[in-house]
Amino acid sequence: MQADTTDSSSIPIYVGAQQSTAWRRTLARLTHALDNSRLFPALLIAPVMIFFIVWNVIPTLWMIGLSFYKYTLMLGNPRFIGTDNFISLMNDAQVWAALGRTFTWVVLGVGIQTVLGVLLGYLFWGSRDMPGRRLALTLLFAPMILTPIAAGVFFRLIYEPTFGVAPFLFRQLGMEVNFLNDRNLAFVSVLVVDIWMWTPFMILITLAALGSVPRAELEAAEIDRIPWLKRMRYIVLPNAKFILMLGILLRTIDSFKTLDLVYLMTQGGPGNVTDLIALLLRRKAFEAFDLGWSSALAIILLLSAIAFTSIYLYILNMSRRQEVI
Amino acid sequence: MKRRKGWRRSLYHIALWIVALIFFAPIFWIMLAAFKTKNDILATPPQLLFTPTLDNFIDLTTRPNVSGYFANSIFISLTAVAIALLVSFLAAYAFSRYNPPGTNFMMFILLSIRMVPAVAVVIPIFLMYSALGWKNTHFGMIMFYAMFSIPFSVWILKGFVDGVSRRYDETALINGGSRWHVLFRVILPQVGPGLVAAFIFNLIFVWNEFIFNLIIGGLNTTTIPVSFSTNLYSAGGLDWTFVASMTTAYIIPPILIVFLFQRYLLVGMTFGTVRGEV
Repeated sequence: MQADTTDSSSIPIYVGAQQSTAWRRTLARLTHALDNSRLFPALLIAPVMIFFIVWNVIPTLWMIGLSFYKYTLMLGNPRFIGTDNFISLMNDAQVWAALGRTFTWVVLGVGIQTVLGVLLGYLFWGSRDMPGRRLALTLLFAPMILTPIAAGVFFRLIYEPTFGVAPFLFRQLGMEVNFLNDRNLAFVSVLVVDIWMWTPFMILITLAALGSVPRAELEAAEIDRIPWLKRMRYIVLPNAKFILMLGILLRTIDSFKTLDLVYLMTQGGPGNVTDLIALLLRRKAFEAFDLGWSSALAIILLLSAIAFTSIYLYILNMSRRQEVI
Repeated sequence: MKRRKGWRRSLYHIALWIVALIFFAPIFWIMLAAFKTKNDILATPPQLLFTPTLDNFIDLTTRPNVSGYFANSIFISLTAVAIALLVSFLAAYAFSRYNPPGTNFMMFILLSIRMVPAVAVVIPIFLMYSALGWKNTHFGMIMFYAMFSIPFSVWILKGFVDGVSRRYDETALINGGSRWHVLFRVILPQVGPGLVAAFIFNLIFVWNEFIFNLIIGGLNTTTIPVSFSTNLYSAGGLDWTFVASMTTAYIIPPILIVFLFQRYLLVGMTFGTVRGEV
């Protein structure tokens, strides 16, 4: 009985050990095979390249091709029309109006977010000993982590004309306002939500920017009793400006792309006062299904995004050369 | 003197708390609404004090499609991000260590994918998916979200791999380790924070994503944000009890994540390009 168990257990182990050394040798040869090969990095990059080619290059080329065709999904085969889509785009008053609104949206939105964010970020600078800081910052940063769809839902409840809080407060002041259905107010009402969502981001950026200011220089300036304005001008600003610029640029790009929030709150209305460029594109592509024309507009937006990215990287490289980040 | 300073200090802290609470107020308001009855939500003037009820959440669990939306959201976001992370880590290592020709160009193109308005990206994908029959499939959604998570992950992970000294690679190689060993046993454990940040922020991105799911998804793949825009109305009016309880359930995970992973917030919100203490 005892012998049996030793037999049956010892033999497989022995065989197994031998197999495992052989197997290990093969495995080692296999794993080391690519060590010095030029194929190794190519192999590592390959999956990303496959994703990139299948989900990006091919569709984009397809879209570029389509932008030279007249193609509406319901109406038969594409017809080659050369650059007509681009020309009609340039002459389309709707496009220019939407671009104008988007421009106002970005300038006002990002402008106000930056000013508020920098002021509040400065206020939060040096708040390390604040009780419950982590919880407070979570509450503060919560808006930017939400989907714009959820934010849109909240503010539809808050703006709701009959039982919303905001109209109620204004009614106490003797004003009857209908935020989202009033042509003069809708744009501002939605913009307020965007500002609420993204001011925390600028606070975060400001905190990071101020955090990058060397403490020693600040302390030296304080000991030398250098006035606040000069300290800002000569110590804080030169160190903080790159991160701030990156933050503002990121915000500009994202603000330019705004779609979800406005889509949920007003769908571009009333009339078309909140019709931003991304909303216009969505309507043309997926309601009118005018895909040739939409492709042309998408390409223009693509090119502008590439331009934005170049500026972003330019600033990033500039800051890295100065070893700020 | 010292006492006065302490008093001013607490005033300062109170001011900071007030700022934080002001920003949180709209979220708090919808969370309150989730515990109100329909009549309390529709009451004028708006009710701040009311008898809380859990009926809305109970109602939520009995709705036919809601569990499906949550399942879709969780399944799609987790799988897509896991795929993206694995693929991106390999590429980030290659970009960082071998610096193959065109690295900078590739990094640039990857970043610009994230800068393009979503609708412009989705048009060609829509065409391709229609042709291949990938619309409204989990495979299509997951792969697309993985593609959209890759740029950010590569950017953030390359930064972290760059931060690990090449000496580690060399030591491991000299001691007989293979490149795979270097990759998974030497580098991987050291870029943990980068992986966490990339994981968290891609997860939030996919969790919050709306327009792609609206256009290339369908009944089988509807995630929560799209369900908001399609299920808002019932019996003629906006279904506020549903909306309030659904958003409350939906926003709790992201808020928890901000609380738990606060130090990754900065790196996460700036594609890993800005690092620092907050």
